[in-house]
Amino acid sequence: MKRFIAILMTLIMAMSMTMTAQGEDLAAAANAIIESKTFERTYDTNFSSSIASFNYYSTNLAIVREIVSNCIDGLVEPDIYGVYVPSLAESWETNEDQTVWTFKIREGLKWVDHTGAETEYELTAQDFVDGIRYIGDPLNGAYSLRVVRNLIKGLYDYYWLLDDIDCGLVTDQNREDVVKQFDEMVGVKALDKYTVQYQLENSAPYFLSLLESSMLILPVEYEYAMALGEDFAVDNEHLLYCGAYYVSNFERDKAITLSANTHYWDYDKITLDTVEYQMIPDGTTSLEMFKRGMTDYTSVEAEAYDSLVGTEWEDNLLPTSHSFSTNYLWLDFAGENTEFKTFINNENFRKALLYSMDREVLAALREPVDPARILRNTINAEGAIYDSNGKDYTDYSPLKEIKETNFNNPELARQYMEAAIAELCDENGNIKGVEPATVDYLPVCSFDIDGKLPVTICYVGTDDEDEIIMAQLFKAMIEDSLGAENVDFQIQAFSGWTYGTVADPLNYDIYFDSLSTGYADPSGILTRVTTDGAENVGRYDVPEFDALIEKALAAKTFEERLQYFAEAEAYLCGNGFIIPFISSLRGYYMSYSIPYTSPLTLYGNTKYKGTLVMAEPITQEESAVLEAAYEVAREAALAGK
Amino acid sequence: MGKYILKRTLNSLLTVAIVFVAVFMLLRLMPLSGYFPQEMLKETDEATRMSYLRNQGLLDHPMVQLGRFVKNLFHGDLGRSLTVYPKVPISTLLKEKIPVTAAFGFSSMLIGIVLGLSLGMLMVRFKDRWGDRLGTGYILMVRAIPNLIYLFFIQVWVSLWFGLPMVFEKNMPSSWILPVICLSLGSIAWYALWLRRFMVDEENRDYVKFALVKGLPQKEVWKKHIFKNAIIPLVIYLPSDLLFIISGSLVIESLYAIPGTGGLLTTAIKNQDNNLVQVIVLMYAVLSVLGVFLGDLLIAAVDPRITLTED
Repeated sequence: MKRFIAILMTLIMAMSMTMTAQGEDLAAAANAIIESKTFERTYDTNFSSSIASFNYYSTNLAIVREIVSNCIDGLVEPDIYGVYVPSLAESWETNEDQTVWTFKIREGLKWVDHTGAETEYELTAQDFVDGIRYIGDPLNGAYSLRVVRNLIKGLYDYYWLLDDIDCGLVTDQNREDVVKQFDEMVGVKALDKYTVQYQLENSAPYFLSLLESSMLILPVEYEYAMALGEDFAVDNEHLLYCGAYYVSNFERDKAITLSANTHYWDYDKITLDTVEYQMIPDGTTSLEMFKRGMTDYTSVEAEAYDSLVGTEWEDNLLPTSHSFSTNYLWLDFAGENTEFKTFINNENFRKALLYSMDREVLAALREPVDPARILRNTINAEGAIYDSNGKDYTDYSPLKEIKETNFNNPELARQYMEAAIAELCDENGNIKGVEPATVDYLPVCSFDIDGKLPVTICYVGTDDEDEIIMAQLFKAMIEDSLGAENVDFQIQAFSGWTYGTVADPLNYDIYFDSLSTGYADPSGILTRVTTDGAENVGRYDVPEFDALIEKALAAKTFEERLQYFAEAEAYLCGNGFIIPFISSLRGYYMSYSIPYTSPLTLYGNTKYKGTLVMAEPITQEESAVLEAAYEVAREAALAGK
Repeated sequence: MGKYILKRTLNSLLTVAIVFVAVFMLLRLMPLSGYFPQEMLKETDEATRMSYLRNQGLLDHPMVQLGRFVKNLFHGDLGRSLTVYPKVPISTLLKEKIPVTAAFGFSSMLIGIVLGLSLGMLMVRFKDRWGDRLGTGYILMVRAIPNLIYLFFIQVWVSLWFGLPMVFEKNMPSSWILPVICLSLGSIAWYALWLRRFMVDEENRDYVKFALVKGLPQKEVWKKHIFKNAIIPLVIYLPSDLLFIISGSLVIESLYAIPGTGGLLTTAIKNQDNNLVQVIVLMYAVLSVLGVFLGDLLIAAVDPRITLTED
């Protein structure tokens, strides 16, 4: 109990010290709420998808990321305001152009096993080097390597040299010899037992956020992992831990128990002895179990929301706070449908599409209570990236104007459409240069085009009920705005929808997908959507955008970098090459945990270090007070970071 | 009999081999992109994906892959899951999952047989009266209403009325009750329906009428003649139930979060986990063939009129 009080006081002091006069009132109100509560030492939560394995280098499953982020610490971690503070690294420094990052590791830390007992393995700088060594070997099948492999000096060449040897393209070098040269070839070094240094190919002012978001930069006890071979991390008994928790119990597809690591370097900050996960496969069961006190957390989807309004639970419904994933419409610039291809390569037609939809109506499918809160006109999310002065990236002009534009403008859309028709069609409605043909989008669909207006648009979506409704809304809005005599919007709900069957082979004209800001730099998404980018599945050609990206990557300061990225993103979105419209945020939740007591992990990994859990669910009123106090304190923390 | 068993065994092995090789080869016709989750497809370039596939041995000629699988099989190595539980040994998965599903399967089968046969006898005993109507009503309800409706009703409302857990928990015996009941509902109806039908058929046969006219007590006629003859056609299906015991129920296991094999094959196919699919198919093929084989042997054992050989 003393520890609780100490934590509460720390929280109170942290908030209080950064408050203005108004802030002090808010902090006092927030403190009063917290002080009135009694706290639990166990948090019962749930998950809904299978745990494939705990190998954090080869999976990106959200639940695995969450468990790993609680069990394997990184070099730095965010505090409750999202400001990076020391974790396994006591301190760090970087050179002027931020291409070399050096971290001083805490001394005397040991890896623990699944019983919580210390092992003989000490955690050293070498473990971070070995993490990169592990992912650098193609045989280990690391997941989503692109960003890290391209960033750490020499890693790209090392990886592909090994791969070339494995597939027989390089025969004059021996695999073992190349592996032995890792330390010389790759820019990650253990300068001494407790100092690790990363040398990067490019300036990376966002590197700390990458340390938070990417599991590929986590440490590994290499000797242990190599001894286990393919068994490494297949379950909790084949993994070592260095975080606030270890996995003491694991029943595949059923239950997981995280127990507090008593050897943890920051043990005093741990507020929960155990975190119990149980598998609850669907939202309805989860909600029912929450009502019966059998779980401390439940998500509440839009359709369940109404059933709780007017009940005793209404006051406990809280909106989910943020999602950095953006839903957008992807357009096919090089498909077989020459009618659509002709039009989509026309700027006026793209702008006609851009202004043709009432995005708030679309948002209401996900968030019927306050649809405006999930509208998003930019690809990178607001609140995800800040410059060194605390200015949000999406507030950089001209992206700010795009962010604030109301794109629901059917009149303007019709004007753009008429301009496009004037440029692309003759007076009889024949589309210039387009002959009648049969479009083969098999296995999705096949259809005939006649080379005349209306332009046939083939929208391909999944057979998910919500997505079909969304597709019908697209059809109604686009045909209403642009005129059914001008566009014929056809919906194909393809039950076998996969990236490999629809997007990659260009078997669509328009489809719906999402992109997520993975770390605190716009390059995470924007370098993927250049003309040659891996994510440019619509195959557009945007030299102006590419040039701005090049300028951004070569910028001398972070602010200059963000400015160029903002111009590039505004160009892409403002000209309708990609049409972002809402965030992936959905629904509400109810919980026994107190908001704003956990580290603010912006990039997807929930951490329980410091989380306070009450005996009763948090209410809307309590949450509102805590949020108001928190926002004032966070603003001050970000400004002073 | 020995010759018959040998012949059937060889036929069974051939059937299993054909099924397995056909499935193995069909799996290799699937697109390579299916080995990757959508996010990974978007985030990795083709060269990285090909590197991954090559290192997993998935680019080798199908016959090479088949040979490798068979060789490992003879060494007791079932391989490792590719996509559903990456790198987890399939033998470990099956060891974890089969006992759970089998425990539920056996329990529900037992309940299904006992209650189903009892209900069937009750329906015959009170034919065209309350017992029959009760049984018919139950059978109609189970077979006509989409199962998701009553399964969901049981999970939400019955659990609330009786204070039972909504999901399965290994160390909580009360959490077994609802899933076992749900699993049994269909088989109770099945056994009741068919036992009633076969018993009514037997009841109307001449030998039964003759026995009753001769003065044999009705109880004895029921027990020694009607029931015994009516149960024979049902016996043949008992070994086939082995497969259902092992394969589990996708819906019920999902509803009650039972970590069993229900849905494992579907998930493996959906995620193109070739290694897992081929092991499960092999296992199911063996169990199916074994079930039919044992059914034939069992019916010959309980019905002296049936012989399996020409002699």
